[in-house]
Amino acid sequence: MTDLPPPPAQPVATPPAAVGAPAISAALTTTTVQVKSDFRGARIVLYGAVFDTGDQPTDVVVMVRGPEQAVRLTRKQKVAGLWLNSRPVVFHGAPGFYRAASNRPLQDIATFSTLRRLGAGVDHLTINAPAEQRVETRYGVRDVVVSRLGPDYYDWRRAVVRLKEKAGLYHEDQQGVRFVDRGLFRAEIALPTGAPTGEYRADILLFQDGRPVSSRARTLTVEKVGLERALYVWAHDRPWSYGLAAMAFALAAGWAASAVFRRD
Amino acid sequence: MDIYLPIAEVSVNAPMIVALGALVGFISGMFGIGGGFLMTPMLVFFGIPPAVAVSTMANHVAASSMSSVIAYGRKRAVDLRMGAVLAAGGVAGAIAGVELFRWLRLLGQADLVVSVSYLLFLSVIGGLMLVESVGAILRRRRGDTAPARRDRRPVWLYGLPLKMRFPRSRLYISVIPPLALGAFVGVLSAIMGVGGGFILVPAMVYILRMPAGMVVGTSLLQIIVTTALTGVLQAGRNQTVDIVLAILLIAGGIVGAQYGARASYRFRAEELRAILALIVLVVGLRMGLGLFLTPEEPFVLMAGANG
Repeated sequence: MTDLPPPPAQPVATPPAAVGAPAISAALTTTTVQVKSDFRGARIVLYGAVFDTGDQPTDVVVMVRGPEQAVRLTRKQKVAGLWLNSRPVVFHGAPGFYRAASNRPLQDIATFSTLRRLGAGVDHLTINAPAEQRVETRYGVRDVVVSRLGPDYYDWRRAVVRLKEKAGLYHEDQQGVRFVDRGLFRAEIALPTGAPTGEYRADILLFQDGRPVSSRARTLTVEKVGLERALYVWAHDRPWSYGLAAMAFALAAGWAASAVFRRD
Repeated sequence: MDIYLPIAEVSVNAPMIVALGALVGFISGMFGIGGGFLMTPMLVFFGIPPAVAVSTMANHVAASSMSSVIAYGRKRAVDLRMGAVLAAGGVAGAIAGVELFRWLRLLGQADLVVSVSYLLFLSVIGGLMLVESVGAILRRRRGDTAPARRDRRPVWLYGLPLKMRFPRSRLYISVIPPLALGAFVGVLSAIMGVGGGFILVPAMVYILRMPAGMVVGTSLLQIIVTTALTGVLQAGRNQTVDIVLAILLIAGGIVGAQYGARASYRFRAEELRAILALIVLVVGLRMGLGLFLTPEEPFVLMAGANG
């Protein structure tokens, strides 16, 4: 909390339109999360301020998105008395981590279409399954886009959100942004152990009258460090030497154990 | 004391994983099996992604089999030639199995094949072993003598071409059945994350008719070759071997295996077989149960979105 990073040198993303126009600013207390052998998730605190001379009520929405990860989902179906997996469906564009925090329920802050445009809230995330759409000729009409999922699409979409919420990767907190003083707010971002590594982007939006009037973006890096990183890189960049080394270790350990126990 | 696994990308309780390794190692040493069929479902239960559990198991099975095979080798209870033939089949099977597993994962049917294989192989073998061992225990209680074993070997074992002499096992048979058996077990090893001892041992006794004293040591040799190859292939093709998890499991496993081997002397062979049969049967039924029960959550997120 004490070591707030210095204000950014680059120009503000959305400069105030006029003197006295409402503006927002924010900073993360941690900008790099290191995944080490004792990693059990992390809590990141975001502090921000609203600069507003007017008396209009203001709302703050904080959205944190992790790196994009395609999602493969399957549905269990009863076939001849057995529960079998259906063909998996791949959803693209889903963030690997998503958190929306606001000072009051999102639907009270802005309209459905605004939220949809901004991708604010788990219901408004862009998650597509393009692989399930194909263009074909139907009834003599060419280039018709057909979705294999059909009306089930929303069930699948909801399932992605539900399962990600269960894993602690998606969350919507309607009281996640707390005003600690006039114009000064605070939000907490909890990263679970399973949070993907990579670049995260936090968007801090100021709403007035249901419209976003000012915004800031901050980045957060989640990275494996030390031995964890070395092993991960080894396993993915030189998988054959990694596999050979892991197996050589296993065989040597087995041999060593029998040698040690032989003596007693 | 939690520890983060770099490949599985989950955090686990380290002492518990070591204890699990030791427990499975103990069972493995006691019954002369790899113990993979027990370990893989338990790792999945503890939250390890199934693909990582199946692959990393290969390292654990290789380590505990290595620790036991040396002991059998000293007692001259390993038929190297038969082991080599089985292993040659195993190598082909493992390569095919890793590719098959990759393809099944892409189709999204890997779970189904794993569940069905467990249900089918474990319950059939567990059931047969249980009937046989309980029969043996009852006969001994009643003081009956065991029925004379039909020593007549099946004709097809001799009718096939490519005969080879196995002096250690006092066999002169075609190499096709051991090659096929090795290949079959190799495929299973890649798909189920097991060494395959629970299939190999009965098959060597009842189909190849090898002398009982040679069976366990020789099957361990085949298991080492097959699982070593599977482990390297899984790491190379699928990047699913977690070395930190492997170290934790092996640390417990090799110690457990040594104590298990000693404990086995306190029990009669048929009692051991009956206990093992029960364990095998329970694991098989438990794994297969998911096929019949209505799932609470019909949708399942699958690991490895990129295949």
